[in-house]
Amino acid sequence: MDPILCASHICKSFIGVRALNNIDITINAGEIHCLVGENGCGKSTFVKCISGVYEPDEGSIEINGRVYQSLTPVEAMKNGIQVIYQDLSLFQHMTVAENIAISKLKFEGNRIIDWKQVKSIAKEQLDKIGVQMDLDKTVGETSMANRQMVAICRALAQDAKILFMDEPTTALTKTEVGHLMKIMLELKKQGLAIVFISHKLDEVFTVADKITIFRNGNKIGDFESKDLNEKSLSYYMTGREIEYQRYHRVCKDNDPILEIDNLTRTGQYENVSMSVRPGDIIGLTGLLGSGRTELAMSLFGLNPPKSGVIKVEGRVTDISSPMAAKKCGIALLPEDRFNQGLFIERKIKENISSALINSICKKGIVNKKKENEIAHKYVDELKVRTPSVDTVVGTLSGGNQQKVVIGKWIATKPKVFIMDTPTVGIDVGSKSEIYEQIHKFADSGMAIIFISDEIQEIMANCNRVFILRNGQCVKKLEEEDLGQNGAEKMIADLISSRVPEVSAEEAAQ
Amino acid sequence: MKKKLDQYQKMLMVIIIIYSVFVALKNPQFLKVQTVFDIIKTSSTTMIVAFGLLVVMISGGIDVSFMAIALFGSYTSLYTMIKTGINNLAFAFALSAFIGVCLGLINALLINWLKLPPFIITLGTQNLFHGIMTTFISDKSFGSGVLPTCLHQFGQGTLFKIYTGNGSAGLTVSLIPVLLAGILTYLILYKTMLGRGIVAIGNNEESARRAGFNPFIIRLFVYGYSGALAGMMGIVYAAQVNALYPNKMVGDELMIVAAVVIGGTKITGGQGKIFGSVLGVLIIYLLNSTLILIGLSSSWNNLFVGAILVIAVAVTSYQERVKNRNHLIFTE
Repeated sequence: MDPILCASHICKSFIGVRALNNIDITINAGEIHCLVGENGCGKSTFVKCISGVYEPDEGSIEINGRVYQSLTPVEAMKNGIQVIYQDLSLFQHMTVAENIAISKLKFEGNRIIDWKQVKSIAKEQLDKIGVQMDLDKTVGETSMANRQMVAICRALAQDAKILFMDEPTTALTKTEVGHLMKIMLELKKQGLAIVFISHKLDEVFTVADKITIFRNGNKIGDFESKDLNEKSLSYYMTGREIEYQRYHRVCKDNDPILEIDNLTRTGQYENVSMSVRPGDIIGLTGLLGSGRTELAMSLFGLNPPKSGVIKVEGRVTDISSPMAAKKCGIALLPEDRFNQGLFIERKIKENISSALINSICKKGIVNKKKENEIAHKYVDELKVRTPSVDTVVGTLSGGNQQKVVIGKWIATKPKVFIMDTPTVGIDVGSKSEIYEQIHKFADSGMAIIFISDEIQEIMANCNRVFILRNGQCVKKLEEEDLGQNGAEKMIADLISSRVPEVSAEEAAQ
Repeated sequence: MKKKLDQYQKMLMVIIIIYSVFVALKNPQFLKVQTVFDIIKTSSTTMIVAFGLLVVMISGGIDVSFMAIALFGSYTSLYTMIKTGINNLAFAFALSAFIGVCLGLINALLINWLKLPPFIITLGTQNLFHGIMTTFISDKSFGSGVLPTCLHQFGQGTLFKIYTGNGSAGLTVSLIPVLLAGILTYLILYKTMLGRGIVAIGNNEESARRAGFNPFIIRLFVYGYSGALAGMMGIVYAAQVNALYPNKMVGDELMIVAAVVIGGTKITGGQGKIFGSVLGVLIIYLLNSTLILIGLSSSWNNLFVGAILVIAVAVTSYQERVKNRNHLIFTE
């Protein structure tokens, strides 16, 4: 194995915060190198330093026998460094062929477009990874998986030597992930170096030759893939054996608040039934596309089910809009906090009062005093760290923003609170504070539906768990099941049934 | 690149044909060569600026100042010619287009410098340009007697004449600048890297930058091009009406925006077809000039244009939603 890129002593700080501290990494040709670590551990910053987006404060990058203090994006590309960002950077309304070829042609300085050349470049690259695609379709018309292929082909067209892939699998289905992994292995055989960033450990173990672990901007170490297992890897990533307080239901009231019976929306979820009592924290888990978010949206009146019954406190209820849901005492904390959960440019107090604005209005005029009171109450209760309730929400950290969203709904005193991945992109400290709050709500008799695909989180917070796969509820676990040894592993297996072996995947194709 | 017509353009064609058949049945006058040639003549000016606007909209921008630019360019160059006695058509076009480019570049510079939405900037410059012209240049009207004679000849010129029972009908020479502008726009958009850059920044500016395009330069070109076409259009317009007024044209911008949007151009950028814009302009002028033939007053015009605009945008947005749903994106 020949090293093609050596980064040594890379340091990078942002306004006093050390994002990268003395990082040394060597990347070899024909190797799949995984970078793993928690959110904000510095892996993305590192990639941006290598690809020329950021200029490192210290350190050097050696590539193709030359040593650079820092690279410009163009230099990086000329040296064969290609990055596929999470958003893929494709042009929706342009054809597959053009998306693949345009960067190459642009960098070669072409002024006139030869459409035959565009197609032949695209065809050549698609053949390299053994994929067939309609070249004349626009990217907007192709599936997420095919867009990923287009982005890979575009990088290959520009003569990539090192391909960085930043969480390429988040939006893909299981089969598609399998296919992508097969292509990665194929490219590796052709001598390409691939740097794969993922937080899905099973995927990492499927393809990685080498694993580099980041924690808080430091490199913990380089490991051969075979020397690690999931347990040791997550230990290195977090630096501790995290044990959260387990939740136990104390509420004595056993009359269900919310019952759903055979709820179906074809293509999204089918025949889901559950009964929710006060004080329940129900874990709803499954992969992206398993139907969990779609189901949550249906309960909140955003995605009407095709058939089935929803009962609120024993009465059959038609939840046709978020307004109706609110009236029934149902609240939803959305997955996308930035766009759907907050008015990001408004003050904390305006956000907190937004869901109950009608009740603090008199003849259409907002009672400012009441608004302030409510804001203060929930900022204190939820421990939002902010100088004042007049602070604009967008300036808070992720964890504090999430507390504001929670506060907004708690202020409406909901009976059922649906939380869709409430801790995504939130630091560990805020995480445990949010868990603590959730337990408190449940103790006071609120029912919570907790959607997450982080198994540790589900285990710590939920007294019952529903596992969805491809829209079907494949398993329900009660409190006593969760207490068993190996429950954690069972959930993990049920969610994903593992990444299929590459050879099995080939057979399926 | 797709050569064949897409679904949406076919729909527009069907609308045009059905409507034409309907009008022809109501009033056979419509089938006269004279009527058809008239529609072509009056729509020719709009076509030219529609191509410029199309390019701007594909790049993700919008321009509502082009009519003010057209007026500024044509008025200033013709005023100069009247004052100096120059009587040369090429000079009129060249000077007016040059002024158009300069004003277009001002738009681009302001948009890039102030980082404000193009709509606001061009709404401002529309008034600004018009105001500068009437305040500092002149606000007098000139009738046909004073205008350079070359202009009159151009306005009345025909490519060929067809003799019918009661007189003759000629196809206007204004069609030549329309065809030239159309072909030039096509070549730029589909055959040059610059054109692909225009489409690229309309799709996603950040991605375009990552692919090596310079959005600033592209923007300069786009607004400059729109300005140049507007300047030329101003001359064609003055020649057709054979008079020069300091208050014409400005105010018709939104009708042309409507035509381009009806033609299938995305208001958010990244997509738009030349032929679609031609069809959009045709629909509007067809309504404009045939409502009287079917016995409706011209006040119905706005009603129809408005209805078609809303329907056209609704159809495209519906198609988009269906597409999004297939990819599990819920926007409703």
